[in-house]
Amino acid sequence: MTELERALIQLGRGLSFPEAPDVSERVLARLREPAPRRRRVSRRALVLAFAVLALAIGAAMAVPPARTAILDFFGLRGATVQRVETLPTVPRPSESALDLGRPVPLAEDGRPLVKIPEVLVPAALGRPDAAYTSAESYGMQLTLVYEPGEGVPESPYTGVGILVTEFVGEGATRYVEKLADAGTRVERLQVGPYPALWLEGGPHFVIFEQEGMVFEDEGRLAGNTLLVERNDVLVRIEGEITRARAIEIAESLR
Amino acid sequence: MGDRPLADDELVARAKQGDTRAYGTLVEEHQTIAFRTAYLVTGSAADAEDAVQDGFVKAYRALGRFRPGAPFRPWLLAIVANEARNRRRSAGRRERLALRAAADPLSGGAVPSPEAALLDAERREELLAAVNELGEDDRLVLSCRYFLGLSEEETSSALGWRRGTVKSRTSRALDRLRERMGVEA
Repeated sequence: MTELERALIQLGRGLSFPEAPDVSERVLARLREPAPRRRRVSRRALVLAFAVLALAIGAAMAVPPARTAILDFFGLRGATVQRVETLPTVPRPSESALDLGRPVPLAEDGRPLVKIPEVLVPAALGRPDAAYTSAESYGMQLTLVYEPGEGVPESPYTGVGILVTEFVGEGATRYVEKLADAGTRVERLQVGPYPALWLEGGPHFVIFEQEGMVFEDEGRLAGNTLLVERNDVLVRIEGEITRARAIEIAESLR
Repeated sequence: MGDRPLADDELVARAKQGDTRAYGTLVEEHQTIAFRTAYLVTGSAADAEDAVQDGFVKAYRALGRFRPGAPFRPWLLAIVANEARNRRRSAGRRERLALRAAADPLSGGAVPSPEAALLDAERREELLAAVNELGEDDRLVLSCRYFLGLSEEETSSALGWRRGTVKSRTSRALDRLRERMGVEA
């Protein structure tokens, strides 16, 4: 610990915070009330809601300043894509800013030596150049890095060739959300038996979310991306690659 | 030894079974840190109080999803801080919270510790002013880590950033603070 850190800790001890109110009685009183029941939405109400939404979108589009409004949603169980007119501006990431976690060694056959229930490696890409893992409050993440090479250009968004990221484990079902602008084509497809989303043609924005809590990460723009939901593992393949190549890579995961 | 306070995991297990008294103990134990965290996020004591109250109610109702054995505090702080952020957003306000030193931190007849002597009043003011002048993210991360004493995991939960982000932003915020203070690394 540096002197500055010690000074900050000491400063913190002398800071004046408003006195924390005792909320325990009020909390317990509220717990005695019946929990609000989840409202069941009737089909009719749903149709109505969509009609209202369509109207709202139409109205928003007619008014130029409101054009940043959400245009539409695409969702996998584990990832949703929200289409917006304007993406947030973020600085271009440097390779170190990718922040992929802790490097993990690779076995002779190229598989990362990491304690994750199901590690998937795409045979179509050969041996990864590096692998990283991180334990996040929302689950485990494993990333395989492929440097630029023949047929794999460097991505202006990541500074590497291809990134294959696997989100694994409990709670891994809903934590990647992206914003895509009008320049991005979003397409639903199947990779083998698995549902998938393909994002192409424009940058989109990566955000993490779990149980309604949004993890606004150091946002970074991402290029062409294939998201595949394989049971409890959400696989994300990103790089300056074609749709066909991305599918080929996803199909070779084992 | 029957009076030994129960550990959080035991209290959580009991609360999961519907023991609201056990949950009341958890509220009492964690409400100060929850309030301070919410206060850092909202900049308003009233909003922080609401966020804490709603956060505890929501956490209780979500106990079924709480992973047994996991630490309770980061999970709770994530929920409370999320409530706090929602409040700040819906208030359409990004109030700048200026942290203040207590009027006389050494009052009450306390003997200045050797540590306190390390940081005299003048330097304390200077350091506090420098922290308050930092950007919002820098100020938040330093406040969570050093003023509230939250761990990296707790800071990650409270601010809704990934753990690596907490680490890198802390180090960058310290660098910027050093620059302002003219301190060498």
